[in-house]
Amino acid sequence: MSALLTAQLTHLAPIDILILVLYYVLVIFVGFYVKRATNTSEQFFLAGREMTAWIAGLSFVSANLGSLELMGWAGSAYQYGILAAHWYWIGAIPAMLFLGIVMMPFYYISKTHSVPGYLQLRFGEEARALSAVSFGLMTILMSGVNMYAMALVMKVILGWNINFSIWIGAVTVTVYVMLGGLRSAIINEVVQFVLIWAGAALVPILGLIEAGGWNNLKAQIAHNVGNPSYTHMWSTLGHFHSNPMGVNWTGIIFGLGFVVSFGYWTTDFLVVQRVLSAHNLRAAKMAPVIGAAFKMAVPFIVILPGLICLGLTSHGHPVYHLVGQNAVDAAHPYSYNEVLPLMLIRYCGPGLLGLGITALVAGFMSGMDGNISAFSTVWTYDIYKAFINKRATDRHYVLMGRISTLAGMVISVATAYLVADAASIMDYVQALFSFFIAPLFGSVVLGMLWKRATSAGGFWGLLAGTVSSISMFTYTRLGGERALAHIAFSSDAQPMAETLYRALWSWLICVTVTIVVSLMTTPKPEAELVGLVYGATEIPDDGATDLWHKPIFWAVIVIVVFFILNLIFF
Amino acid sequence: MAEGTGRGEMLSIWFFVGALTLTYGLVLLPYGAWEWFGHHEPPTVLNNLHPTFWWGLLLTLFGATYSTRYRPRREDIDKV
Repeated sequence: MSALLTAQLTHLAPIDILILVLYYVLVIFVGFYVKRATNTSEQFFLAGREMTAWIAGLSFVSANLGSLELMGWAGSAYQYGILAAHWYWIGAIPAMLFLGIVMMPFYYISKTHSVPGYLQLRFGEEARALSAVSFGLMTILMSGVNMYAMALVMKVILGWNINFSIWIGAVTVTVYVMLGGLRSAIINEVVQFVLIWAGAALVPILGLIEAGGWNNLKAQIAHNVGNPSYTHMWSTLGHFHSNPMGVNWTGIIFGLGFVVSFGYWTTDFLVVQRVLSAHNLRAAKMAPVIGAAFKMAVPFIVILPGLICLGLTSHGHPVYHLVGQNAVDAAHPYSYNEVLPLMLIRYCGPGLLGLGITALVAGFMSGMDGNISAFSTVWTYDIYKAFINKRATDRHYVLMGRISTLAGMVISVATAYLVADAASIMDYVQALFSFFIAPLFGSVVLGMLWKRATSAGGFWGLLAGTVSSISMFTYTRLGGERALAHIAFSSDAQPMAETLYRALWSWLICVTVTIVVSLMTTPKPEAELVGLVYGATEIPDDGATDLWHKPIFWAVIVIVVFFILNLIFF
Repeated sequence: MAEGTGRGEMLSIWFFVGALTLTYGLVLLPYGAWEWFGHHEPPTVLNNLHPTFWWGLLLTLFGATYSTRYRPRREDIDKV
């Protein structure tokens, strides 16, 4: 990686090391502390289903707030401007609210332990097997990618040895997840969420002061890049060539806002597992709504630092000139991905720097623990218990959860070293995730909302959507710009558009195949669909007694704020 | 019941949040004061605003509020 060629950016003072060590001590303590309340499989894999809406909601949004994502999107904000905020707003908020209000009742009342588990109840063992195996593989690989990314960041920023970073991250996460299971992961994710804000919020505050406020920053960005399009979210989306990202509004609304977003937030078990830990139906519905409210604020600490880096000037010239990873050289030593560390170093001296670095470390560990705890659940419930050992004791399954946590981490470490040897593997591993998410959303949403969907329809639709996504990915890798133009229907489309349109087409193929095959096969009797499908299920009362307790009321508030924010930055 | 850490446990998840932020505040606040009043400001942009001191103070107040509000109580300890 070219970033490795650069010298380390800074070093830690003793006070920074103290702050980092205190964090590790707390994390390990939490693992030991909650172990005594983690004895049954329900406690280990679903945290005893006793979390409040606030805890489940913060954990839900925090599990997605890994440092790979924080640093990547801060870099994207520098590269593409405020358009990157779409991934936090239209690319998250409507889907999170849909999960809470429409889908959560079915996940919750079916008492499933996982998303593949729901597919088994609705479509049978084949759909569960396909979903569980692909999800298990992806989570374990993603955990390895996170581990390597953390090691690389620590090497670039602090000059730490790669082996040291990989092993200290792996051992710490393994210890606290093996001891406390999902409960331990959730507690650490909530602490990490607070820590990320404590460590990162000062950067945009001081950045805005230095830039002279938002209006001055906008003017400086327009001056630095030569046009005003970098600070508008919608007015530049009329055509592929009129915005820095090379996408248009159909890709953002239908590709990102509908398929990618709904696919990730409603069917990726890594995040859904957090909500399943809620202690009652109202908490399960409220958790995604609370998560959505906090998600809307995240661009303040991720997108804004990227924009500040883009807009800072000194004597009329940009302070920073960042380039893509492959263009780093002696004249341009920093890449887009280094926006957050550069901004931290600019404003934070000893102590505050340690807090910022600890926030990044916490973010990486959260990315690892989310993947590992989800892997351990899906392996134990949907592969081991479903196909290998159906009649073991509850105690045995908890032991299997702990063993699979350890085994998963060993495979993740191997993946991290594999990625270290061949960096291009990292791009492919991240792309692999996108193969399954969009079709999975097609299968789950049809399964929940359409009684006529059959087991055969669900399986073949999921398979067809996944295969078509892989085929389109291969086609654009081999066919270059011409292939991309076919997928996105425009010769001006940029690589970012490929992800959005590929997701859209693979979802449509999944839905079409599911519908056609379902109409050709025999549906389940309605009695077997109770608790699984809209129209066959009486949704139980969530216990909200007045307006202030109703999840739908707060969902409306969140969606109104969402529209106002989009109008302000139109 | 202490929220989030299991039935009958003494420490709530919010206590952990408060304890960590309070500890960080108590580390940063005196260090920031030493930087400010001892004229040891680091060579960072806007160091004249003394961010370490003010951020340390904010974390101390936030952490103290949460640690107090969610501190282990007698009745919780008796349940264990």
